Amino acid sequence: MLQRTAVAAAVALTAAGSLLPLNAEDLVPRASGETSQNMTIAPGAFREGEVIVAFRDGVDEAEMERVLRSGRASGARRSRFGPRVLAQLEPGVSVAEAVDRFAAMPVVAWAEPNGLVWVEQATTFAPNDTFYRFQWNLKQVGAERTWGIQKGVSTVAVAVLDTGVAFEDYTDPRTGQVFRKAPDWGDTRFVPGYDFFNDDAHPNDDRNHGTHVASTIAEGTNNALGLAGLAFGCAIMPVKVLGANGVGTFFALADGIDYAITYTENGQRPVKVINLSLSSSGFNQTVKSAIDRAVAAGVLVVAAAGNNGASSVNFPADQANVVGVGALNAAKQKAWYSNTGPELDLVAPGGDCDRDDDGDGTGDCVYQQTLRSSSVQAGRYDDFGYFGLQGTSMATPHVSAAAALLFSQGFTDVASVRAALEKTAERLGGAPAGGRNDTFGYGLIQPAAALPGYGFNVGTKK
Amino acid sequence: MRALAAVALLLAAALPSAAGELAVEAQVGYFDMAAKDSARALFGSSSGATFGGAVRYTVWRGAFVSAGLRTFSKDGERVFLLSPGGAIQKLGFPVSVELQPVLLMAGYRLHDGQLIVPYAAIGAAITSYTETSTVAGESFDTDGSKTGFVGAAGVEFGRGLLRVGAEVGYSTVSGVVGLAGVSQIYGEDDIGGFHVVGKVALAFSLGGKPKPAKPQPKPAKPKP
Repeated sequence: MLQRTAVAAAVALTAAGSLLPLNAEDLVPRASGETSQNMTIAPGAFREGEVIVAFRDGVDEAEMERVLRSGRASGARRSRFGPRVLAQLEPGVSVAEAVDRFAAMPVVAWAEPNGLVWVEQATTFAPNDTFYRFQWNLKQVGAERTWGIQKGVSTVAVAVLDTGVAFEDYTDPRTGQVFRKAPDWGDTRFVPGYDFFNDDAHPNDDRNHGTHVASTIAEGTNNALGLAGLAFGCAIMPVKVLGANGVGTFFALADGIDYAITYTENGQRPVKVINLSLSSSGFNQTVKSAIDRAVAAGVLVVAAAGNNGASSVNFPADQANVVGVGALNAAKQKAWYSNTGPELDLVAPGGDCDRDDDGDGTGDCVYQQTLRSSSVQAGRYDDFGYFGLQGTSMATPHVSAAAALLFSQGFTDVASVRAALEKTAERLGGAPAGGRNDTFGYGLIQPAAALPGYGFNVGTKK
Repeated sequence: MRALAAVALLLAAALPSAAGELAVEAQVGYFDMAAKDSARALFGSSSGATFGGAVRYTVWRGAFVSAGLRTFSKDGERVFLLSPGGAIQKLGFPVSVELQPVLLMAGYRLHDGQLIVPYAAIGAAITSYTETSTVAGESFDTDGSKTGFVGAAGVEFGRGLLRVGAEVGYSTVSGVVGLAGVSQIYGEDDIGGFHVVGKVALAFSLGGKPKPAKPQPKPAKPKP
């Protein structure tokens, strides 16, 4: 059994920057709640009790009135722009009956139902979470249109291999330590995970990193509380492979990967994506073999490129079968700390807390619920807030969440999920269509463009 | 070229017959798309029912021209696949395709006026293609039209007003699809295909009544 203090070959956590509390007093909740715009008007629909009657030229007012009365109109509104009226029908008179009656009159040019027109607007979903407007990161990846298509299903789980997740109320019988479930999980389902650091089935967070990362994926959304997660309908499997100091071992990491891919529920493997918001400077065959098994088992592995500002991508994000993720700031520029290189596949919002490119009066961190850092340092794991972090650790769960949404939609194949995200990513930095560069990889993920897949002769839309 | 040769052979072997016959046909049958892999990925199959009609006019002996319209549609769901051999992942968003070929053909009817009339024809297939799909309120529609080739052969039964018949044929119309979507992945750009239809025809004579055969002079009786 590994002890917290017995850390061998170190896996350095990539989370950078300090925790920046999102001060509730400074924030203004959204005035409106759910603003999903879903037009469901049947073709040919029309207003009951109304008929448009167009008269022939030269018909005078008196004749119009006579026609309307004989057509059983109880009232009418005349257009200012031509000899046409909107006839209000007497109760009990059907539109079809009235159309036939008016159309048969010699002075009537035509009569027809007052059909409906509507905006051609794609369905979007804007959640009512209190501080949602500070989540520039979700807007950057087109979250509202994405949610209009897919919010995630709870049978698809993302394994978050990290410092643990504040997912349960639990008192450790060995230490008496109290852990609390973070308050803004909403209906998010947790698949049983494991703590490979303490060798028990309670992978609670004793830092704040894992809870933040998991919240980017599936924080309770549209629950009028706090912040939103990109794949809030999906499940989270918390797997603790990093300690309170943000460091873990390759051995624990490999075990965590194998645990995630072998866990079954009702004969099914719920974990479709493994999120690794962690990196190391060195290669490790044990971890590499575990990743190979994961990919072979149909699980997409997504990892952080690293926060060294270097021109090479850290392990394991540098592996060909791992999606290596770099970070952007709110201006869609490469974040200053984000590693680059030929192994970089995609970029996503990682934040830059020292900038305010979106002009909302707060630094452009990635904000999510997590443990209060000062309380954690005092040994308390029951004090939560909405805090900002920056790093490729924060970018990575955006990609994991997007992948989980694709699996939720019906994608079944790891290579397809990866290809769909890469094909539809917003090219940045002059990358050619269909191509990549070392700074941004294939570009910024746009899951709403990937979700629709292909028609017969219609591809994905950018 | 083979079709042309076949028609030339038929013309050469034809018996003389009357011009001026107009026939109106209703057709129902089966159509199998040339873009089979794309169709199977989206719709589960590449074939289905087709309906249509045509007007045929016999211009000289058994030679005729015809103009017809058929319609064929398939409904399915959008998919994702990585490569032609890759897993087809159904995504649940509806997609519909409709093909409407206008078939302008010229051909020859063997033994016109007989009880059983075989025929063959070739011509142009002016085919319109419409694809509609909506994903959460957003339309993914496209359409287009191209002219290709069609060849058909069939047989017609009956010699009166009412005829019945059957026809098989193949059309090829390139360039409308294959530009995006699954048809691009499979490299299929043809919206033509194989058809077999049954038909009912009403035939009218527009004045070209066959002339009665000239009576042969009786051989003179030998004088006693």
